[in-house]
Parts: sequence; C-alpha cells; structure tokens
Amino acid sequence: MSTLSPQAPEARPARGRQDSGRGRRSSPMSWRWGDRLALAAAWVAGLSLCAIAGAIVLYMGYRGIQYLRPGLIFSRPQVSADQAGSGGFLDPLLGTILLTVIGIAIALPLALASAVWVVEYGQGGRGRQSLARIVESSIEIVAGTPDIVIAIFGLAVFQLSLMAPFSFTSEGGGVYGRSFIAAGAMMSLLALPSVYAATRDGLQAVPGHVREAAFALGKTRITTIRRVLLPSVRSNIATGTTLGISRIIGSTAIVLILLGSTLRIETQGSVPAIDLLRGTGSSLTAYIYENSPAGEGAAPQKAYAAAFLLLIFVLALNLLVDRLGRAHASASGLASAGAVV
Amino acid sequence: MLERLKKPWPDRRAERLLGAVSLLVAAVVVAMVAFVAAKSWPIFQHNGLGWLLGGGDLETEIANMNAAAVKPAASVYHLRAWPLIYGTVLSTGIAVVLGMAIAVLSSVFIVELAPARVRRVVIPVVRLLASVPSVIYGLIGILVLVPFIGHHLITEHERRSVQNAVQLTGAGLAPTVLILTVMITPIMIALVCEALASVPASWREGAVALGLNPLRAVRAVTLKAIRPAIVAAAVLATARALGEAVMIQMVSGGKSFSPSPGDGIAFFFEPLRTLASAILDFREGVGSPPLGATIYAFALLLLFSAFALSVAGYLVKLPLRKYQTRG
Amino acid sequence: MHRIRRLSVALTVAGVAGVAAPAAANATSLVTISGATSSYPLVSLLAAKYVKLHPHKIRFKIAQGGTTVGLNDVKAGSVTIADVAQEPTGADAGLDFYPIAKYAICVVTNKANTLANLTQAQVASIFTGKTTSWSAVPGATAAGPIEVFTRTSVAGVLTSFKSLLLEGKSVTSHATEEATEGLMRQAVESAPSGIGFLSNYQADKGGLNSVSLNGVACNKTTAASGQYPGVAVFFEVTKGPATGGAAAFINWIDRSPAAKKIISSQWVTIG
Repeated sequence: MSTLSPQAPEARPARGRQDSGRGRRSSPMSWRWGDRLALAAAWVAGLSLCAIAGAIVLYMGYRGIQYLRPGLIFSRPQVSADQAGSGGFLDPLLGTILLTVIGIAIALPLALASAVWVVEYGQGGRGRQSLARIVESSIEIVAGTPDIVIAIFGLAVFQLSLMAPFSFTSEGGGVYGRSFIAAGAMMSLLALPSVYAATRDGLQAVPGHVREAAFALGKTRITTIRRVLLPSVRSNIATGTTLGISRIIGSTAIVLILLGSTLRIETQGSVPAIDLLRGTGSSLTAYIYENSPAGEGAAPQKAYAAAFLLLIFVLALNLLVDRLGRAHASASGLASAGAVV
Repeated sequence: MLERLKKPWPDRRAERLLGAVSLLVAAVVVAMVAFVAAKSWPIFQHNGLGWLLGGGDLETEIANMNAAAVKPAASVYHLRAWPLIYGTVLSTGIAVVLGMAIAVLSSVFIVELAPARVRRVVIPVVRLLASVPSVIYGLIGILVLVPFIGHHLITEHERRSVQNAVQLTGAGLAPTVLILTVMITPIMIALVCEALASVPASWREGAVALGLNPLRAVRAVTLKAIRPAIVAAAVLATARALGEAVMIQMVSGGKSFSPSPGDGIAFFFEPLRTLASAILDFREGVGSPPLGATIYAFALLLLFSAFALSVAGYLVKLPLRKYQTRG
Repeated sequence: MHRIRRLSVALTVAGVAGVAAPAAANATSLVTISGATSSYPLVSLLAAKYVKLHPHKIRFKIAQGGTTVGLNDVKAGSVTIADVAQEPTGADAGLDFYPIAKYAICVVTNKANTLANLTQAQVASIFTGKTTSWSAVPGATAAGPIEVFTRTSVAGVLTSFKSLLLEGKSVTSHATEEATEGLMRQAVESAPSGIGFLSNYQADKGGLNSVSLNGVACNKTTAASGQYPGVAVFFEVTKGPATGGAAAFINWIDRSPAAKKIISSQWVTIG
C-alpha cells in the first residue's frame, strides 16, 4: 500500500470555457443515462467509504469517550463477582506491548538478513537465484497465510516436548504450549513480510554506483552492507516495521490461541526475565474479545474503552507510516551513504 | 565481544550466515505445512477425503469427539464438514464480488473523478479502513449491527418460515458479508488504484480524442488494461476473507448450518460457520485427539486454499501478460 | 540515537517485567484448572481468596471450555483440577469428584416477557420443541415463535438441565447453542421471544425474567431448602485422589469459613 498517490493530470493548454482538463464537452449532462448512472455510482462508492470510516471512528470515539477513564488504563484487572469491580486493562495493555517487542525483536533480524541476502548475494549464478526465489516465495506464502493457521501451527510446535522450556509442563506430561514467547514468535511471522518487502525495495532502489564506490575504496561486501546500504534504507525499514507493528497489535487469533488467556500477566518459573517470556497473559485485542458478547460479554463498556484505545494506537501508527513515507520521498536516500568505515 | 562485532566481518562467513538465516525462513514454511498435515492425519486416515463432503450432522460429530476424547473408537473420527466449507465459500464469494464492484468504482472515483481535495481525504480513509483490527469490526458488528438486524430487519414471517430448521437471531450471513466486504475492499482499492495510476494517460486521451466521454474511456481502455491487477486484488482479498476468523466468529451465529437460498429473504439472516471461525470455536478442545485432528484438518484446508489461490491467480494472469502496462 | 533507542526498549521491557514480577515470582506449586463456565466465577473467587490468605504457596491458572473439555483435560493429565457442573457418569472411572457447592438451574426469558410460572411438563415441551409458539404458553406476554437457546454439548449445566428438568430428553436441534453462560444470558437478554436456562448466579444478575418452576421461585434460598427441583452440584475433579496443592485447595474450600462465605454469597454450600 505504498502508493495510493495517483499522478497529477498532465498540464494542458488552457481551453475556453471548460478547462476541467478532461477535454471539451465532457459535462455529464451530455452523457447517456447509463454513463451518468455509473458516474453517480462511482461517487457514491467513494463517498460511502468515507462515510463508513467516519461512522466507525465517530462511533468508537463516542463510546470510547463515554467509557474510557485514565484509571482504566493504569489499574490491573480484578476477579470479581460483578463486572463493576473488575478493574482496568493495564495487564492486557502491557501484554500487547510485550508481544510487539518480542515479535519485532525476532522479525527484524530475520527480515533484514533475508532481504540483504536476496538482494546482495542472491543474484549471482543459477543456484543462488533459485534459492533467492525460494526465499521470496516462502515469505510471500507467509504473508498470505491466515492468522489463525499461523496460530494453530504455533500451537503444534510449542506443544512438542522439545519446546517445554518455552512454556511449562503439566502433571500428566502434556506441554502447555502457551506463553508470551510462543505468541511473540508467531507474531514475528506477521511482521516479517512487511519488513522484508520494505527493506528489499529500499535496497533495490539504491543505485549500483553507491556499491561500486564502496568497492572501489576497498570495502568488502558485508562492510558495504553494514555501513553504507543498511543505513541508507533506514526509513524503509522503519516503514516496514511500523506496518508490522500495526499488524501485530491488531491480531486477535494468535493471542486467543497462544497466550493462555489469564486475566493478569502471570510469570512462570523463577528466572527473572525468562519467567515473563514463559508466562501467560492477555492482550488488548483478546481483552476486547472476551468482554464483548462473543466472550463472556459481561462488560461491553470496558470493551469499548479498550477498543477506543486500540483504535488510537492504530491511527497513530498510520500517521507515522504516512510521515515516514513522506520523509523518505523528500529526503535523498544517499545522504547517509557518505559514512564509510 | 562487542568489540569483535564492531570490527569488519569476514565476508564469506557473513554470506553463509545470512544465507542460512534466509533459508531458515523458507524452512518455517515447510515446517508449517508439515506440522499441520501431520497433526491432521487421523482425520484423513479415518475419512479419506470424504470429510469434505456433507451428509452427517456436524454438531453431533463434534459432540461425539468431545465425549469420547480419551480412548476414541474409530467411529468417533467420522467427520463431514461440508457446512463449514459451504459457509466459507458463500461468505467469501459474496463479499469478494460485492467488494470488487465497490473497489473498482471507488478506484475510478479516486483516480479519475475526484477533485484533489476529496482525493486527499479519501486516500487516508482507505488506508485507515484497511488497518482497523478485525476485533473492532467484530465489536461494532456484534454490539450494533447484529441487534439492529435482529430487532428491526427480521420479520416474524421470516422467523416462522424457517422455524423448523433454525432460529434467526440477527447474527448470520448478512452482518458477516457486510462487514467482510468493508474489511476487504480497502485492500482491493489500494491495488486497483496503483494500477489505474500506472496506465499511461495517453491511452485514455486517445480514447477521449476518438469521442468517448471520460468514463467510457476509462471503461474501454483503462479497466481492460489493469485486468492483471484486478485479478491480483481479487486473489489478495479472497485470501484475506478466507482467513478471517475473529470477526466472523463474533457475528455469524456459530451454527454449523448451510444457509439455503430457497428460503427467500431468510437466507440472508440464517446463521453459518466458516472454517476459520470453527477453528476459533473449537479451540479449547485441541487437547483431545479427535477434535484436535479436526482443527488441524481445517487449518490444512485453509493453507491449501491460500496456496491454490496464489497459483490460480498466477495462472489467470499469464494470458493477460500482454496487457501489462509496466516495463 | 541508537543508544537512546536501545535504552528505551530496555526500559519498556524492564517496566513490563517490573509490574508483572510482583505477581507471584517465587510461588512453588502451580495448579491448572479448566472446565465449566458456570462454576468459573465461583472458582475464580475462591482461588483469589486462597492466594490472598496463603501467599506464595499455590498459583492458579484457570481456563474454561466447558465441563466436558475439563474432564477430557484432567483425564489426559493436561490440568490438575477440572471444574465440573454435572454428576459423574460411567465414563468418569478413575476420577475423584469433590462437591464444592450447589446451584439452581433457572429457566429464564427476556425481561419483556413477564412469564411467571411454568410446570415441569411445560418446560420439557418447550425445550424439546413440541411447543413452538408463545401463544400456546399461558401467562407469556411475548408473541410469535419461541426462540430456544441452549448450551453447546460440552456444558455441564446442559447435562444437568436435561437430567433434572427434561426427564433425560434432548433439547430440540434447531435451538441456538451458546458456548458459555455469559453468552446464553446475552442471547436471552437481546431476544424478546427467547427462552433459556442459566445457573442462578447468572439469572440473578438482573436483566432477565426468571421463571418459577411448579410455583417455586428459582434462587439460592429455595435451592438450599430443597423446594426447587432443579438443583445440581459443582464438583472439583482430579485424576485419582487430589494431592499437593490441589488437595490443600479443595480441603480449604471444604472447611474454611472464608470459603463458605464466598460460596453462600451467590450459591448454596454443601452440607
């Protein structure tokens, strides 16, 4: 979705009365009825999209302002007989942040390595090229796989006895298979294609003479990549990462299946940071789901509040992608290519 | 150790490392297919491919799987999942057709017809719609759309007409298809807009010079030229719709029922279930051997559908190569 | 710039860990529970109280899924305790059932439908699909076809409902199945011609019309006194006799006055 910016109509010499730039006598009043209907339909389609989006944002905003209190964001969920005392959604919020951090931490190196390898090393020779094609196709397949299949795959993997250190083992010997690290690892598969595609496009757009200049100075390929190319595609990487983050925080299926659905973040074991990774918890999306009529349904107000917060995050990320895209387009990508070891 | 990382790296070693990591990603895909297929094997073992057909009562079969989970006899694995496949095809098909029509119209609007001010508003709107999480769509669906349909759109006459088969509660085909269309249309719009913008203006101008009005020119020339992009958009949207689990589970009524067009208007209000929403519905039972195998079988089917879609899209685009406008 | 970024990521993770760590960093025993959605509120309250009174001894992970899912999980050894809302059957050999509370199964209709009373025969006839229209039910203010809501097959409340109030017959196949008690309540609350069944805890939450059975209202008092016919039992079920943390928890529920207080707030104590 990098370009939704159609080219501006070419400059035309000014015409008499109608300089809509679409030629003379193009007023719809002179068209056939069928065409006028199509014109109206196109306008209706375009504007109704805006109407629907506006309705969603306004409705969520209305409900969110009605129900979202700062106290909810900072208080932990409680068990209680009635939903009035059930606290806020601090733990689900932290869960979302933690999952995003884990997901990006795993996806970023994998995506960067793959993109770098495919663009820089994967072009020479038949064998290399077919391997590069395989890697590209695999990432495309991952991009097209539904979230729920990725979640089920994650469950199959993390319930192997080999993977017991990543969650815990119950009495009968069954591996629980659900933990932050399990969900985070699968989340990384969601972010991987975005970061990969953005980095690959950025690297392909760097002109050949930049690399040749570095080689002429005696630098090895890997040093060129590390010191010249990667820094110059920083904004591409940032865009791809932001898109990946947006996908991660919106994912519900993976959380419902792989995160154990405990109300609060529960650690597992006694090693300080590892116990958090092995622990279970919840995320904003799972919290919304559980509090909606599809889960237990008892607290739609809390669901609205959390949904509003989530929507704000998504909007902010959208704006960020927009800004990054614009900054990249205006800045010269070669400005930082001057840094050579 | 940080010092060693800061010094120049050996080129060959780095290359091998990067290559290994890249192939790791490819290995993940292979692992995905392998694991899901292995775990779903018991269903194929006991049903062959017959589980894709209809004939049994899916709810009873699932109940049997739950009841006999620990030492299941062979008969417990009996599965006929056609209602789910039908539900998936039905909801996806209607949503993609509707969405494609709206997407093409909207894209023409955005690229050709909208004044610059309106365009500046519509483009971020489309991007926003594409990035709203599905659980929020589901929330609005289940708290606003479903009660509205249930209380105001379903008449008692319709309720009575299907009384002996199913109950109409408002959750069913209608809200599913409506929300699914809103979810997949932005994806299609993005692709079609990009393609429309890349058609050389001279092609359209030639048509206008020959006397067609602008809209006709678009229809005659540009739309034909972007057929590969339309196919790509349809493929992408179908893949997205197939995999949508959470939103559908919230608004579809959760009954393994095959809505029948013969019921008239009630057809649109009948509940259904799709493969993805079924996985979500039965997710708690994944620990029991027969139900677990069933869930993995559904996932395998979804995986193959995604593959098949990409291949089909590629094959459909091949003869359209000559209309490619790039390069 | 990189350092600041690295630092902020590290701080975020540390912050998250810091909040989460106090939540039982060095508890010794972990008890996993899954099963009935009807006893989930009760067991969650009991577990929370137990952890408050005996800190750092046991940690609980409570899931739901339905009675049958809980039974399957405990038979397979994936959980320590199953929450069960139905009586043991022949298939449950080798499992130990510990009763913790009694609950009443109430028939509920939409608030707009002020149906006051039903006989047991009427209940059976409505839920098995013999009576299909509200006009055939005297005292009902709803009109049109009866919308029957039931639970999915894994629900213990459904099994108990069938054996206690439906004489063992099955609910009609065109009833809409709901996966949890919460969903059942939602469904009946939003369907003017709906009818369903719930544990008294959910039925008492307001927003629904609770129907008397044979003239007896459905609440915890009539359930305790034995007047109300549809009273079933919540069990905690283990594979073999309960040991370790599970045994301590179950014994505590049985004996401690704090547990009795929680149980009698909305449900009926055993004995």
